Amino acid sequence: MHNQTFRQRVFLYLLVAPAFIVLFGVVIYPFFYNIVLSLSNMNLRHIRDWRIVGFDQYIKVFTEPSQPDFYVVFLKTVIWTAVNLFFHVLLGVFLALVLNQKEIRGKAIFRAILVLPWAVPQLIVALTWRGMFNYEYGSINLMLTQWLGLPGVQWLRQPITAFIAVIITNVWLGFPFMMVIALGALQSIPHDLYEAADIDGASWYHKLRHITIPLIQPVMVPAITLGTIWTFNNLNIVWLVSNAGEPSDQTHLMVSFVYKAAFNFYRYGYGAALSMVIFFILLAFSLTFMKKSHATQNVYS
Amino acid sequence: MKLQTSLRALYALAVAGCIVAASVSMDGCVFKRDPRIRLTIWHQDRIDVRIVLQRQLDRFMQLHPEVRVEQLFKETEELRSGFIIAALAGQGPEIVYGPSDQVGPFEMMHIILPLEDIFSKEWLALIDPRGLTWYKGHLYQVADKLGNHLTLVYNKKLVPVPPTTEEELVRIGKSLTADLNGDGKIDRYGLTWNYTEPFFFIPFMTGFGGWIMDDAGRPTLNSRGTVDGLKFIKRLRDVERIIPNEADYNVADILFKDGNAGMIINGDWSWAGYQNAGLDIGVAPLPKITTTGLWCAPMVSPKGFSLNSNISGEKKTWALELVRFLMSPENQMESARELFTMPTNLQVQQSDFVQQNDIMRNSRLQIDRGRPLPVVPELRAIWDAMRPSYQAVLAGTMTPEQAAEEMQALALRRIKEMNE
Repeated sequence: MHNQTFRQRVFLYLLVAPAFIVLFGVVIYPFFYNIVLSLSNMNLRHIRDWRIVGFDQYIKVFTEPSQPDFYVVFLKTVIWTAVNLFFHVLLGVFLALVLNQKEIRGKAIFRAILVLPWAVPQLIVALTWRGMFNYEYGSINLMLTQWLGLPGVQWLRQPITAFIAVIITNVWLGFPFMMVIALGALQSIPHDLYEAADIDGASWYHKLRHITIPLIQPVMVPAITLGTIWTFNNLNIVWLVSNAGEPSDQTHLMVSFVYKAAFNFYRYGYGAALSMVIFFILLAFSLTFMKKSHATQNVYS
Repeated sequence: MKLQTSLRALYALAVAGCIVAASVSMDGCVFKRDPRIRLTIWHQDRIDVRIVLQRQLDRFMQLHPEVRVEQLFKETEELRSGFIIAALAGQGPEIVYGPSDQVGPFEMMHIILPLEDIFSKEWLALIDPRGLTWYKGHLYQVADKLGNHLTLVYNKKLVPVPPTTEEELVRIGKSLTADLNGDGKIDRYGLTWNYTEPFFFIPFMTGFGGWIMDDAGRPTLNSRGTVDGLKFIKRLRDVERIIPNEADYNVADILFKDGNAGMIINGDWSWAGYQNAGLDIGVAPLPKITTTGLWCAPMVSPKGFSLNSNISGEKKTWALELVRFLMSPENQMESARELFTMPTNLQVQQSDFVQQNDIMRNSRLQIDRGRPLPVVPELRAIWDAMRPSYQAVLAGTMTPEQAAEEMQALALRRIKEMNE
């Protein structure tokens, strides 16, 4: 009997082993290797003879004068993430609520159209939006000048407008994900709760506040957490729309900062330290957000 | 129990499948043994170059059925970082192809082989010395193409005779720039190019007497040449108004292809595309700056083959054979005819096509007037230091003098950071 339990256990380990080996190879080992690199002096000059130098690279991250300034980049990344997430959730949930109405006809078509931004490859989206923001030939300025009689905006030439341009692009790209998640959550809410609320004479607002929002929360909180991590670490959109930080390296986020350090300047130790800083920021955010929003709490309790 | 037995069988099957997959490959659902030797070339060339290269590789494989060669396209940055990571881990393609500036970082990491003792002196003597990239006393790259250089490309319909000086450039540009439909907006520009990118600024910098670094690799960006070059570009845009208000590579390219710009500053990689788009183009050397008496000199770089330092034995022998084959006069001639690339083989350079074709003749003239692209790794720091200040001048938030000073200071800091 004991022998059989042991054999069963070995068999279970064997079944799990391939997944664990893959996970070890692509997540666990690189993560710990990155920690080691962040404590090393590995760069172009010390690519083969690198050594552990303690927390030097972390100190450099926070104290070394950089172009653009690390703290400015950090602040921009926070603004970028917050603004994007706000609009992703607002638009996503709003559209999901609209699509969840019984009266809407052709829901499938609307759903397909609204998911389109998510379905198009990011590279195409980014380059198309970049073209649309062109001062003379872009469709945004053509609409502003010809339809609304407003002056054209030099979107990509000034730091603030360039930053707004990349945010607009990413809002357009990101809301379908939240919409799909919210729609799934809405469809799982038992309809009799709304019927009971109707009998009690609850208004639309009260049903939203006391039924809809609490019941979609367990689904939306992990989606927002994921969305935050993805947006915070989004390299493609900023890099492509702003053409690698234009104008004058003013549209960088922390992740493009890491990319430049590691792959343009071959500062692997510094880049690894910077990526660990990003990891801890996101870890702290995720834990705090999950705790504050009671994401793991049973909604029906 | 039955379920457990089935799972066991499934597991055994999966493991067996992995072993089989590792030893043989599937081709059209028929198990087939691999050719004895597999070679891979990584490059960052555009689609028309890839088509010509594939044809040449097919011929090589026909001659040597025991060898299979695969070309793999990668974006410039992806190729560099990918090759560094792979080669440091003892892997990677046998051959890496690209412009000469990748030699510097690759050499520092010891991931490419010195070639001077591998190829015979007689064979190397057949190549234009500008196609051989030496660094720290060793040969690290043999090129089949010379150039990667900017020239003035003009639409013959709009510009019958190209300008030879900067003042002629302005005059022709002004005559072409026009609001054709009377809506108050300019529909056609005299000139366009990707002027937010520092690489495209180099010809103006050199035309006004500047250059990016001295012989010791120290940046020399705070110079009169930088300041005057910046002022000249601002003049073209803000005073003469012969270039678009905003133009990156794609915008400039489309404007020229659509006939909405008479001239474009672009590289040898673009000419075949313009011809395929049905444009009657001419290629001319960039103009001379009358105040300095200097020609605008673009950077000139060979594009060639380097060998991964991890290869040895039979693979190395075949990789060398392949490089020799791709560098052969026949293959270089084929590329020159189809892609207008400048061959490095001295015999092909003397051919009627290279000597007499209008585009090739002017391309060669521009190459002769160009400046070699430095291969030192510090070049990265220079580009990165130039970009913010250069763009700040274009955005009107910095004067050219301040920009030159900032570029220099940032370049020095970047180089220090890279070399710490």
